Amino acid sequence: MLSWYTLTLTDYVVVGVAIIALMVGLNKVLRRFGVGREVATGYSLILPWFLGFVIWNLGPFVASFYLSLTEYNILQPPEFIGLDNYVEMFTGDRNFWPVIRFTLLYSVINVPLGLLAALLTATLLNQDVRGVGMWRTIYYLPAVLPAAATALLWRWMFASNGLINFFLSPIYNLFNLDRPSWFTDVDLALPSYVIMGLWGVFGANTVILLAGLKNIPRDLYDAATVDGAGRIRKYLNVTIPMLSSTLFYVLITSIIASLQTFTQAFFIDHARRAGTFMNVYIYNQAFEQTKMGYASALGWVMVAIILVFTLLVFRSSAAWVYYEGEKAG
Amino acid sequence: MVTLEQARPASSTLVPRVAGQRRLDDTIVKVAAYTLILIGAAIVLVPFFWMLSTSLKSAERLFIYPPEWFPNPVRWSNYREAWNALPFNRFLLNSMYMTVLAMLAEIFTASIVAYGFARYRFPFRNTLFILLLSTMMLPGILTLIPKFIMWRELGRIDTFSPMTVGAWFAWGPSYVFLLRQFFLSIPREIEEAAVLDGANTFQIYWQIMLPLVKPALLAIGVLSFQGNWNNFEGPLIYLNTLEKYPMVLGLQFFAESLSREAPKFHYMMAMSTLMAAPILALFFVAQRYFIEGLTVGSVKG
Repeated sequence: MLSWYTLTLTDYVVVGVAIIALMVGLNKVLRRFGVGREVATGYSLILPWFLGFVIWNLGPFVASFYLSLTEYNILQPPEFIGLDNYVEMFTGDRNFWPVIRFTLLYSVINVPLGLLAALLTATLLNQDVRGVGMWRTIYYLPAVLPAAATALLWRWMFASNGLINFFLSPIYNLFNLDRPSWFTDVDLALPSYVIMGLWGVFGANTVILLAGLKNIPRDLYDAATVDGAGRIRKYLNVTIPMLSSTLFYVLITSIIASLQTFTQAFFIDHARRAGTFMNVYIYNQAFEQTKMGYASALGWVMVAIILVFTLLVFRSSAAWVYYEGEKAG
Repeated sequence: MVTLEQARPASSTLVPRVAGQRRLDDTIVKVAAYTLILIGAAIVLVPFFWMLSTSLKSAERLFIYPPEWFPNPVRWSNYREAWNALPFNRFLLNSMYMTVLAMLAEIFTASIVAYGFARYRFPFRNTLFILLLSTMMLPGILTLIPKFIMWRELGRIDTFSPMTVGAWFAWGPSYVFLLRQFFLSIPREIEEAAVLDGANTFQIYWQIMLPLVKPALLAIGVLSFQGNWNNFEGPLIYLNTLEKYPMVLGLQFFAESLSREAPKFHYMMAMSTLMAAPILALFFVAQRYFIEGLTVGSVKG
């Protein structure tokens, strides 16, 4: 058993020493070829990242594109099949569209609601309330809870004998409904994930937005007051524009994170007929069905989806994001 | 300013009324704000309370409906029983082992790379930095399969190496970004003085720069701890032997085996609490650094 730990420790030390040696070596080689001291040191310092970029990002990136054009079960060598994986996905795979639908709906509902909730909370906390530090700690707590624990907790909250049903029981009584088991209900699985997701992230986003709000110079509000602006005018014409770059950051990171929801689904048995998250589906295809080629093709669809969303947000940002540095130009 | 001077005298009799109105407005806003903040805090805290309360319940009182808020009797032994149901001592050791190794290498290399990007001018610096930032948007699942194949070729499936060795390659681009922001804010004169004193690059970095960015290092430390402690995807894919599992994977195995008949939520909540405990403890001790790490990228960027 000890060998498990020593094996990795050996790998770890060897790689660490190798990287430091490569950095020193690169510096020496560059200097010998007459490269200036500053440039040589600069390249040597960023070498660990650059090596990692080539080995862990660029290489796998290219490899995964090639794999997406093959059939590969990891035991036999990959067999080139052209675009068949992509054709199969869009025409033959009955699980594909439910998965896409589930993933997109989750993000499309979760991200705007989460942003609005965070903006509202941050605005409230910015109203000179007492004990901001304490409130901030409380609101941030769910973001500190490991995703695994969050998932188990909400699975229990949403169980048919759980707290959520208890809180909603007056409504059930009114309409004569049975208490549902949320996650295992085909129609309620997605809303359950959305609610759990909101609980998990809105606190972290609140803290970021609150820091953004505290950064807005007071004199802007004073100037607006002098101009006779009311509370709402000030919020729309001063706060929102000044906060827009922070909102933009939160929006982008929330979209990317929500599209890649993964861990939670492994702790919850939700109704599979409702679909599942794209990353979970890719994992199933790759490591349970060992269809590595097909899974790689699905991965590229995921890249396309993320790209489309981020480009849309970037494109639109010209219209609504205000950067202070730009006003001179 | 002129308009203000003109407006004041004409409406001087109105000022008290306007001021009174304003005070009333302020009061209404304050009351509404506190009410909403309290509701929000309840939404956050009730599930936490429920987790703790459930973790102390006996199996018979678990599914009672309507639910009981306070466990009666309080069963502390749930924790011991759940912990002993699987080799959780071993899981804890594995989690700590992987977390410590990955954290050290990750913070060390991220700070070196950030220092290079912040302080040295070299061709293609900005292009390379944008490349670094763009890797943040690359979905991890895409590169996962080729990485898995690589580790398999290296004979490192079912070992801790995939979760730790990669950390030497500054694998957290956001950490590099965050540290670079901090290095940029330090005046250059400090290093220039050291260069005149004959210090070499490593001495400057290690003895002068690192102590100056200590808050940022701590901020990254907590982020990195959180990230590695909670890392689920890596162990899920690379580890097959139960005794090699970290806490998260142990928890998943545990939850699955408890769900076969009636789910034993009291044990699950007990283990969730224990899994979260180190991070919650760290959060209460080093809260400042959590918030620093979270906000620096958004506000200064």
